[in-house]
Amino acid sequence: MKFQKLLAFVFVALIATGTASLDAQQKNKGKGKKGRAVLAIPEVADKDRICFALYTVHDKTLKLTAQLYPIPEGQPREVRLEIQKDGEWTEIAKIDVIERGWTAPFRVENWDDSKATKYRVAHGTESFYEGIVRRNPVDKKVIIVAGYTGNSIHPAHGGDISRQDLIDNVKRVDADVLFFSGDQVYDHHRHYAGWLKFGRDFGEIIKDRPTVSLPDDHDAGQPNLWGESGKVSTLPGASDGGYIQPGDYVQEVERAQTSHLPDPVDPGKIGQGIGVYFTNLNWGGIDFAVLEDRKFKTGPAGRVPKQGPRPDHIRNPEYDPDSVDIEGAILLGERQLKFIDSWAQDWSDAEMKVALSATIFCGGAHIHGSADGRLHADMDSNGWPQAGRNRALASLRKGFAFHYAGDQHLATIFHHGIDEHRDAIWSFCVPSIANLYLRWWEPLEPGANREDGAPDYTGDHLDGFANKVTNYAAANPEKNPAGNILNTRSAGWGIVRLDKATREITMECWPRNVDITTSSAKQFPGWPRTISQFDNYNPPSWGKLGELTFNIQDPVVQLIDAQTEEILYTVRAHGKSFTPGAPKGKAFTVKAGKNAPDKVVAESAKVGSDPISVELK
Amino acid sequence: MSVARLILLLRIGSFLCFAGWTWVHFYWQAPYGKLLWNGSVFSLVEKLGMGWDEFVGSGENDGLIQQLSRWIGWPYIACAILSLTVRKSSRWQMLALLGGCGLLVILSFAKFLAANQQLPMFVEHGGQMLMPAILVTALAKGVRHRATVILTIVAIITTFAGHGAYALGIYWPTPAHFYGMTRVILGIDQNSAKIFLLIVGILDFVICVGIFLPWTRRACLLYAAIWGFLTALARPVAGMDMDLNFFGADRYLHESILRTPHFIIPLFLFFLWKKSPDSDQRNLPPETRTI
Repeated sequence: MKFQKLLAFVFVALIATGTASLDAQQKNKGKGKKGRAVLAIPEVADKDRICFALYTVHDKTLKLTAQLYPIPEGQPREVRLEIQKDGEWTEIAKIDVIERGWTAPFRVENWDDSKATKYRVAHGTESFYEGIVRRNPVDKKVIIVAGYTGNSIHPAHGGDISRQDLIDNVKRVDADVLFFSGDQVYDHHRHYAGWLKFGRDFGEIIKDRPTVSLPDDHDAGQPNLWGESGKVSTLPGASDGGYIQPGDYVQEVERAQTSHLPDPVDPGKIGQGIGVYFTNLNWGGIDFAVLEDRKFKTGPAGRVPKQGPRPDHIRNPEYDPDSVDIEGAILLGERQLKFIDSWAQDWSDAEMKVALSATIFCGGAHIHGSADGRLHADMDSNGWPQAGRNRALASLRKGFAFHYAGDQHLATIFHHGIDEHRDAIWSFCVPSIANLYLRWWEPLEPGANREDGAPDYTGDHLDGFANKVTNYAAANPEKNPAGNILNTRSAGWGIVRLDKATREITMECWPRNVDITTSSAKQFPGWPRTISQFDNYNPPSWGKLGELTFNIQDPVVQLIDAQTEEILYTVRAHGKSFTPGAPKGKAFTVKAGKNAPDKVVAESAKVGSDPISVELK
Repeated sequence: MSVARLILLLRIGSFLCFAGWTWVHFYWQAPYGKLLWNGSVFSLVEKLGMGWDEFVGSGENDGLIQQLSRWIGWPYIACAILSLTVRKSSRWQMLALLGGCGLLVILSFAKFLAANQQLPMFVEHGGQMLMPAILVTALAKGVRHRATVILTIVAIITTFAGHGAYALGIYWPTPAHFYGMTRVILGIDQNSAKIFLLIVGILDFVICVGIFLPWTRRACLLYAAIWGFLTALARPVAGMDMDLNFFGADRYLHESILRTPHFIIPLFLFFLWKKSPDSDQRNLPPETRTI
């Protein structure tokens, strides 16, 4: 009997310990309120059947996806798109709703983007949802792109706080484009319910301006995503590569979030019938490349030597970075790289180029907000595989593309390097709308070549994969966030102003719940920062060719290595003169033209060569 | 099967369970993140005069969390060894092994927290948590003692009810990797995988009821042992690949090994009930009869 009593005592003690710990966890999650959001699909009246609508216009084609609440049995499945002409609503398209995810994706060709057009989506006789398709702001001097990531709705870290500040600020600056870089939905099983919630929160600003939304790992229903061209993942954590959720779930997510994007440039499907959406969107003279930096990426588990407690985490600072840069590991994949190479050369109707993707091309954080603490490198970032990272940057810099991304839960500005520091593009990673998981950029050594008075964490560094990076800002959260659960966790959003008149790019990083138009509103330390478009490919070691003077404004200029015939870069010059940068000691063929570089204007041009006057038609 | 062999079966189950988790603690990452990384724990640590860097690590040095996670691996090794050495005559060994039960409860609780407090995540670890307790009870009171049998039944019911709740996906969503493993191993599509998991989910609950019925219990136990073995094996079968480093064995094998209780415990009861319990118990004192 003694033993039985002892046994009973042990179990009672264990249960009591567990209950006490659970209680402590609950208390920790928001002072009595539950830590996780209750996500439900609300019952709506017939007149409210349409939740929201997203659209883009590209190359005179309108693509608009209406997102509906479930349509009860017996009601029509047909959804109509109408525009206002001379005060009257005119139907221009109709489609049956796709019941899996309740989306109605419209595609309207020969769209007149020279004027704003009121539209409405209609279902039945009662439900109407109105918005405005803006005119293409080709003549607008500054194009404003508001950027967001990480839309957690869980109360434990402020996810339940209203998004009204974000809505109000977008209206105040009248953003031209909205960019949601990923993790719009954190629920791994109910994307549809989460997407409707997202629409209720942001529909008010989305309905009236082009929006790019990229589904990232959490949207696809998994904590990290190495898509491996549609493989099935069987490992919790998914570091074996592939998708945890079935293909039809992923297809539903991508249909909801990306079917309004311009047509994919290379629409071949990957495994499990999953589509691709990488493409470009030309709006207001800005050519956006919409990239998929997860879909083709190789999973690290079992392929790279173990370097830490997880297959995708490297904890050992003494490891050999080359050992994980394994042959055959893919980042963007050949199909997408081919697209970028083509996109970087095409300057039709474009003055500046911006690449949009889920995350940045480096390991952009050192400390991760879980028990892991400091990570030397995280293979979920685009810092790995290094060869793929360098290949992507090498392609993007050929078009002087600026990179706008999110995912990291930590706002940063990096100037990337391949062969030397600062020889590739700049990136701006925006902070999370509500920060689920904290990260810090906190290198152990001060950066080299820091600006005067800049914090130690800025300057030239090697990231955990020995990639060359130069940090200019990091919105590190407080070490032990308390009190204001948004601002102490560095939640916020970003603005990029693309000034076509000066060819300057200004990055702004704002905390939540401030009116950004007031003089007292302060951005995160390190912001704003303005760079030139041409800083996106201006290696410190380069020199200058002789100045080119043209008879026309803003011609397209291309430099080709005279020996290898490889294109060094293509760019639309600013004004009637352009002084090309180039590596020293090499000869280049220089081509130029009004909208495409179709005329050779110099051969064997070298750094320090004479100025040239060019006549173009 | 003789008592000695039944005990050996339990020893193997307990040893492999602790050995698998030892591998996780030392080679991979034990799932204590959600348990240790929270405000209340950090507040407590602060009261003890410890700062942030000491708690989570500075990068140059591991913090308390990393050290603790590794230290816990040593008791797991000890419990794995104790599973083989424990004797009825050594109360301290038995108590230490019961302490191992406590460790498994804490670990399962941490996994439950990490799984957004989904009850089946905790419940399905019942077999693992109770495995050492069953061994100790069998040694202390006898393999046929009602305490041993009750613990064994509880272990089976919790394991299979937890699995079944996830497989059915009615209240708690079916973990997506259940579908993935099913599709990869059986080569079937998503809809077929759903139907398959629905059926096996129902069977999981049938087992929980069936082991109480004299005319179905051995069949249920045999099914439970086979199904427990197959589900434990599913991870390496689905994930290992000749192209991976070590064929992926370092990532997947321990996932099977630590799940040994899922089939050892039903197998134990299957053999225990091999003969008619009534005939067996006639000669036993009442307090040692099985139920």
